[in-house]
Amino acid sequence: MNQIIVLLIARNFVKNTFHSKAIYGILVVLMLTVAYAAYTGWKTFKDQNRMREQFQSKARESWENNPDKHPHRMAHFGSFAFRIKHPLSVFDFGLESFTGNAVYLEAHKQNTINFSEASLSTGLLRFGEISMAMLLQIILPLVVIFLGFSAVSSDRENGTLKIILTQGGGWKEILIAKSLGLFAVVCLVLVPVMLITFALLMESSASINVECLGRYAGLLVVYHVFIAVVCITTVVVSATSSSSKNALMVLLGVWLLLAVILPRTTQAVGSYFFPTPSKIEFETAIEEDVLREGDSHNPSDPRYKHLKDSVLQAHHVESVEELPFNYSGFVMREGEKISTNIYNDHLKKLLNVYEKQNSLTKFSSFINPLTAVRNLSMALSGTDFESYKVFQDESEAYRYQLAQKMNELQMKFISNKKLGPSDKPYVIDRHHWKEVPDFKPSFVSIGTSLKHEIVSIIALLLWCAGAWIVTDRISKKLKAI
Amino acid sequence: MYSLLIKQFLRSRISIFALILLLIMGIVAIIIGRQFLLKQKETISRITEHQQKHIERNVAAHDEMGLLLYYIKFSLINAPDKLAGLSIGQRDINPAIQSVTIRTLEGQKYDTDLANPVHLQIGNLDLGFVIIYLFPLVIIAFTFNLLSEDDESGTWKLLTVQSRSAFRFLLAKLLVRAIFIYGLLLMLMIIAAIILSLPMSTSLLAFFLISVLYIASWFTLCFWLSVFKKSSRFNVLTLLTIWVLLTILAPASINNLVSVLYPVPESLGTMVKQRDAYHEKWDMPKEVTMQRFYAHYPQFQKYGIPQDSFGWLWYYAMQQMGDDESQVQSMAMKEKILLREKTSRGIAQLLPTLHTQMHLNDLAGTSLTDYVTLLDSASSFHEKMRMFFYPKIFENAPVESVDWSKLKPEYLSPDQEIHWLDMVMPLVIFILVLGGWTFFRSSQLYSLE
Repeated sequence: MNQIIVLLIARNFVKNTFHSKAIYGILVVLMLTVAYAAYTGWKTFKDQNRMREQFQSKARESWENNPDKHPHRMAHFGSFAFRIKHPLSVFDFGLESFTGNAVYLEAHKQNTINFSEASLSTGLLRFGEISMAMLLQIILPLVVIFLGFSAVSSDRENGTLKIILTQGGGWKEILIAKSLGLFAVVCLVLVPVMLITFALLMESSASINVECLGRYAGLLVVYHVFIAVVCITTVVVSATSSSSKNALMVLLGVWLLLAVILPRTTQAVGSYFFPTPSKIEFETAIEEDVLREGDSHNPSDPRYKHLKDSVLQAHHVESVEELPFNYSGFVMREGEKISTNIYNDHLKKLLNVYEKQNSLTKFSSFINPLTAVRNLSMALSGTDFESYKVFQDESEAYRYQLAQKMNELQMKFISNKKLGPSDKPYVIDRHHWKEVPDFKPSFVSIGTSLKHEIVSIIALLLWCAGAWIVTDRISKKLKAI
Repeated sequence: MYSLLIKQFLRSRISIFALILLLIMGIVAIIIGRQFLLKQKETISRITEHQQKHIERNVAAHDEMGLLLYYIKFSLINAPDKLAGLSIGQRDINPAIQSVTIRTLEGQKYDTDLANPVHLQIGNLDLGFVIIYLFPLVIIAFTFNLLSEDDESGTWKLLTVQSRSAFRFLLAKLLVRAIFIYGLLLMLMIIAAIILSLPMSTSLLAFFLISVLYIASWFTLCFWLSVFKKSSRFNVLTLLTIWVLLTILAPASINNLVSVLYPVPESLGTMVKQRDAYHEKWDMPKEVTMQRFYAHYPQFQKYGIPQDSFGWLWYYAMQQMGDDESQVQSMAMKEKILLREKTSRGIAQLLPTLHTQMHLNDLAGTSLTDYVTLLDSASSFHEKMRMFFYPKIFENAPVESVDWSKLKPEYLSPDQEIHWLDMVMPLVIFILVLGGWTFFRSSQLYSLE
């Protein structure tokens, strides 16, 4: 391959592109949109996190300020968990708007994670949001098509193609050079977006860690590879089409299919074939399982009666009053353990169905590079479902340990003696409240993120290889006329 | 002339392909809508069955009215209009059922449904999507070279010389395409009516009307562009750019704007406040709670101030304080949501895509407003249940004194007001302005340049 010719043609392509005034318009409008996306993404990130951290500490404050109380009252007082946005959510909003942000954590009960942005929004949200990632995924390929559909075909139409070919440029050189030129032009958008993201990432948190930089590097690679694939595809279509007009039609059709029609269709089909239970079904199933395990509130329930007998036997006593610990605290600890396990089992099953629903879209990455990029980008930006699951798991784990801590305090410090109706209720000292650590949300690890997107990674690599192979093959078959 | 134009139109394989694709997508969307409706229907019948069993089980297990009401949940159902199958809107995000105990409502009413967030983000494939996104694409494909194809093949000059009115010829070409598109729309509506067994109603008619107008706006837009006699390439790029602007960029920008301008910290505030307001009462003298409770409900004053260390009167009065004292936050939250809605609606009038989506959702009862209505109704439903049970709890009436079998889920009465003028005006104005411009501009069609 003649590198000089490649560079010459590529440079010429860039020069020609800037001959038309339209390019300036496109670039200006696109950069303004990028700025808008960056600003709103940044503002949302800052405002939301500030808001949530503020409420998290407020909730903590009121937890610690509780006076002396019965620990079970505190178990019902409970706590809250607020989800914190990942710094890279500035770049890719991902599922952020569709996942819940705050959950009330109390004993005996797994509450839903509420107040997603979507639940507070009008139907307009379903048209999508504008983030820098979305611009790179949806709009930039369209710009590549606008700029590159006639990359080769116009040379063919005005005869320059013949001249290039006779002057020593081979097909392979032409295809590579044009792709390179096209790539160079759109880098005028791609590079600033990545720089802005980097600057905002640096600005977003004082403690920038290796993990964050690794994620950023991943995004850098993914988007450069993706845009390169788009550029090569555009040039190849332009070279193989009989006219510029046909090339344009084909490319636009493909874009519409991949960007608009296919994702919705695969997701809809996935959801159609793997229906999820309704909330009432889900809750009823859990309720039934818990009841099957025994009702801790019912003194004559066989399971709990058996439990009581064995506990009494083990401690060689006749009645619960003689036990060295508070018996109802003990029963609640058992009950909490059982019901939490049951809940987690059901939730796992539900999440598996979601996984199945999403699998069709996930595997469509092999025919749709955009889906591969979309999923990978969300995962790297900490805004995909795996990231959300970390919050879901951590908040539930926190709820569980909080409830159990209170049960243990009850076992340890509360007497087994029943109180009369006008006796003062049992309480324990308030310094115990501080013993429970505050909820500290953490982010999903990059390893987990990547592991879950292995399909997308393979798909993107295959697209890369495919683009190269096709360019190579086609350059042997193409004709000048 | 028409038969020739139809023949010419049908000769293009792409036209047939596009129509068939649109038909298939439309049918798929209707089937998805049907599944959605079936699921909602099943959920409603399940909840009805569950409520009965749930009450029976708890009534059998508890012999104290106060304790029993701690557990029992009552359901309020906002049953979907059948049109929801055509425009699912926010109904997959916001629950259609409120199942609540008579304890603090603010801690219960915002509970969400189970949903796959990936699905929510990608969006539903309903007929509304097909009409708003896909119909315009096919219209663009059919009309971007309405004039330019004749211009580029050289027949235009011939036409301007030979036909009586080139403008009429162009209009006829447009009409042929419109007949096919509208035929397809009608066909899809009929298929939908059969598959979803939609009753003939004014809202169905309105649904059809707004779809017709929306499609007409796109035809007008394409026609308007074509009389500028630009090249096919220019036309297709321009029209597609407009499509991207109207269906992707503009709505997305507005979403960002609304969420940045109006964040809703009040939602989190309500959540924390309702907990603190209720729980702190445990550590206060009973008089404080009871006085506030009796100030709200003087009719219960006769029950006095309880002396025992625990009693259900005091308990439910404390629960009520959770609602009463988080009212400020809760109202502020509602106002913020309505402000978001108002802003979105205001901007939506300027963009046919958004306007159409909003009104399709309105007609189908799947908009945010419908959810707010459900929340409001939940409050009055909760109040009603409390007023029914409070005296029984406070007097410790025997559990058998209530006919529990009568406590069935209640339904929201559907609100079927259609604002015809608001609905059609923005689209009609759009069509008239562009149509007028086109007509005015058409005089220049005959210039040979």
